[in-house]
Amino acid sequence: MTYFLQNVVNALQWGSFYALIALGYSMVYSILMLFNFAHGDIFMVGSYIGFGVAAALVALSAAGVVVLPSWLIFTLTILVTMILTAMLGMAVERVGYRPLRDAPRASAAITGLMIGIILETGNLAILGARRVRFPDLIESVTYEIGGVYVTNKKIMIVVVSLLFMVAMQYFVSKTKWGMAMRAMAYDYLVVPLMGVSINSIARLTFAIGSALAAVAGILYGIAYPVLDPYMGVLFGWKAFVAAILGGRGSIMGATLAGFLLGFIEIFVAMVFPSTLRDLIAYSIILLILVFRPHGFFGEPYSAKLRL
Amino acid sequence: MPLLEVKKMTHYFGGLRAVNDYSLKIDAGEVRGLIGPNGAGKTTIFNLITGIYTPTEGNVILDGESTIGLRPHQVAARGLGRTFQELRLWRHMSVLEHVMMARYSKLSYGLIGAFLGTSKRLKEEEESRQIAMKMLDMLEIKHLAGDSIANLPYGAQRRVEMARALATEPKVLFLDEPTVGMTPEELNQMMDIFRRVRDELGLAIFLIEHRLKMVMELCDRIQTLVFGEVIAEGVPEEIQNNPKVIEAYLGKEAVT
Amino acid sequence: MMRNMLNRFAEVPLAAWLIGALCAVYLEQWVGDPLTELLLLPKIPVLFGCLIVLKTPKLIPSTVVFLILIYAVPICVIAYAVRKPANMIAAKLFSGPIWISAILHLGLLYLILHIWSDISAYRELTLKFTLIAIIVTLSLNLINGYMGEFSCSHPGFMALGAYGASVFSLVLFADDKNFGEALLPGILGPFMFPLGLIFGGFISAIGALVVAIPSFRTRGDYLAIISLAFTFIVKSLIENLEFIGGPRGLGSQPDFSNLLVVFIWTVLCVWIINNYVQSVYGKATNAVRDDEIAADAMTVDTRKTKMVTFMFAAFWAGVAGGLFAHVLRFVNPSTFGIQKLAEVLAMVYFGGLNSVYGSIVGAVSLSLLGEALRPLELFKWIIIPLLLILVMIYRPTGLIAFKEFNIRNLIQPKHIPEDEV
Repeated sequence: MTYFLQNVVNALQWGSFYALIALGYSMVYSILMLFNFAHGDIFMVGSYIGFGVAAALVALSAAGVVVLPSWLIFTLTILVTMILTAMLGMAVERVGYRPLRDAPRASAAITGLMIGIILETGNLAILGARRVRFPDLIESVTYEIGGVYVTNKKIMIVVVSLLFMVAMQYFVSKTKWGMAMRAMAYDYLVVPLMGVSINSIARLTFAIGSALAAVAGILYGIAYPVLDPYMGVLFGWKAFVAAILGGRGSIMGATLAGFLLGFIEIFVAMVFPSTLRDLIAYSIILLILVFRPHGFFGEPYSAKLRL
Repeated sequence: MPLLEVKKMTHYFGGLRAVNDYSLKIDAGEVRGLIGPNGAGKTTIFNLITGIYTPTEGNVILDGESTIGLRPHQVAARGLGRTFQELRLWRHMSVLEHVMMARYSKLSYGLIGAFLGTSKRLKEEEESRQIAMKMLDMLEIKHLAGDSIANLPYGAQRRVEMARALATEPKVLFLDEPTVGMTPEELNQMMDIFRRVRDELGLAIFLIEHRLKMVMELCDRIQTLVFGEVIAEGVPEEIQNNPKVIEAYLGKEAVT
Repeated sequence: MMRNMLNRFAEVPLAAWLIGALCAVYLEQWVGDPLTELLLLPKIPVLFGCLIVLKTPKLIPSTVVFLILIYAVPICVIAYAVRKPANMIAAKLFSGPIWISAILHLGLLYLILHIWSDISAYRELTLKFTLIAIIVTLSLNLINGYMGEFSCSHPGFMALGAYGASVFSLVLFADDKNFGEALLPGILGPFMFPLGLIFGGFISAIGALVVAIPSFRTRGDYLAIISLAFTFIVKSLIENLEFIGGPRGLGSQPDFSNLLVVFIWTVLCVWIINNYVQSVYGKATNAVRDDEIAADAMTVDTRKTKMVTFMFAAFWAGVAGGLFAHVLRFVNPSTFGIQKLAEVLAMVYFGGLNSVYGSIVGAVSLSLLGEALRPLELFKWIIIPLLLILVMIYRPTGLIAFKEFNIRNLIQPKHIPEDEV
């Protein structure tokens, strides 16, 4: 039982990463109908930017220039990284997606894939092959609750992710910009008629999605401090699965699908040898799609790749 | 025995009743009209008979056999050709390819022929090319055969759709507002074509149309559909003078 | 002046160009070595000098001279010189059955490739991988281009084919530590190899059913993730099957994939796929892509069309996998992951959707570019993606999209323009 609960805790943490990344993926997918194959690498870059910001702040603190408490360093790191990564996301949109607004969707997916490769390679070229270590922003404390070990980091990761997800849900359903986004997801052509330009919505969508990926990157760095340039690849593809599994136009769906993916992976590894993890996890997903072919919350729709 | 018979067809979308107790009989060589205000369910009836939706209740009998449960392409292959209200063309194909595609169910060379380019395939494709050219000729667009569909004017695209539907060798041809957006001149040409098609190929036509003038001139019998129910049926003169029809089209005041 | 020159070359038929190229590769074999010494080059420029130039830029002049002397001048001069007899022969052949002419042209092409790749083992290997890339790209184009879906399962299909064919030849024709002694005499091997490839192809076609059945029930983007999940599943499945080597992979396949075999299979693939996409059954995939409801109304069996095309594409991906395994003579599951997927997708979209030409161009140019830019190391992975982004922006459907591959046009004699006579 405790073993089971321990895995629930682990799965919650693991699922948080997937959910946050899938959230950004799902936004681009739902609103702009695009596969943003660069998203996993934006997550990776976000993690590296977070590392840079955190390391700089820690160094400043240690040198005594400005002495900051660790919670403030953490908060600042998240904020600054979100802004910087959002800018990266907007740049990606500008370079890779806007020129292809009227092109087949698959072509935009390919530019995304290529931008991803450039981000990976650029990272390798700038930082070299050595792996960097994310600074310890939080003193690790382990609590034992009925035999289950929970670190303060895990709690913090899950809480922060949930906070951002709730904030997103609020933003999309209650604010004017969120409404414009939903309108665009519903009908591409109606948005310009309402006096909102498609470009600004697209930019905003990419900015928010990337900022969320940056949060995931920092939280990942805190949980697993060793970063490498290819860490975004698998996350990106898995978030892609989660985003579509969640259903088009459903932020809740993507979040849930992200957590589900995390739970499936952790629990498969708990019951079966870890080498079977991918095999069983993806077979389960295949089965889910057989029985719920439109994802969890998505409505049936027919959208072919425009050629 | 009528060529096409629809018996007491009712259809629900969710809880909404879209079509109620609809019946129809068409004989060979007959031209039938279906009129009614927007949203009356005319296209839904087309989609139900052609197999895109399966009716909740009722039966459709084509040439003595029920088509309920068949998939749309099977219904089409049994002799139900159709055009669409919103043009549904394949944007990357030429005119000739459009019409040849409609011969799909008539080909029998199979995958081996497709993979290896056997002489049987060459023969069959040559045959369907000739039939396709004949259809294009009948619609007076033979000279456009090699053109890409995207470059054609609207009226010509409509004709391609017609030619394509005819190439399936239908027994009954369903036309869903075939003259929408056409100039009066094009309209007259189209009406000539309909007549010629009916006479030369001896097929029945079932027509949805908004332009009453055309329906009245062309159709042998007309049904009027309002909210999924047939409120009047008869020869053009009867329909023209039916107060219910006038009410549906012009409102209550017009009748009194 | 320039236009006049170009006009003159317009009457050179393909056969003459091939003869010119044949002479050039012969020339390279004869005088290549002395010429490299004379020009102070370290060795014969293997991939048209790209590798040498990128490593030591100061050798650019001598490399260019080499290329002009060995390739450009002989090809142009000889092609121009033999244009008249070549035209005559081409016309004669053209009046007979098309396949005789086609086979003769292909024979010439093979001869050129064979002699060209004789110079170095590296050339031969690159050439084989390029040919295999053509098969893979073309088969993915069937799904992503002709059918307009977005499939990510090609690495999975290749893996199934590679392992299927490898197991076939290892069990039957090799003494292997996994499968024991050979069941049949090795001499039969090369003759039975096609069966092995077909066996591998069928395995991946059956795998394709697993993807196709759930994804074609509904429309939308589900094929994308189902096929992606499939790739992950296949990779993971192979990693867990110890009897075929697990994560370590499977090695020492017999050396059945020589250049001729790979060439013949590539030609077969191009020919059969080209036949298919030009038939009404193949065109039906376009109809399904552009408007499925209209296709249905025009008697097209849309479900069968999608299934058949998908399985057909998977079959060829499997054959390509089998060839790949026997060229490399080693396979392991990590070869068939996300990286492979990105590579194949890049080739399809670079070359052009819905086009046999496009797939050939995409596969050849990206394979050769990948090899040629090798000296740049890391920056290769910035240049190639940038190039692809530019292509996508300026030609969103790829370089040569929506163009039919017409063998007749390619090999017909080129007649002298009227005003020249």
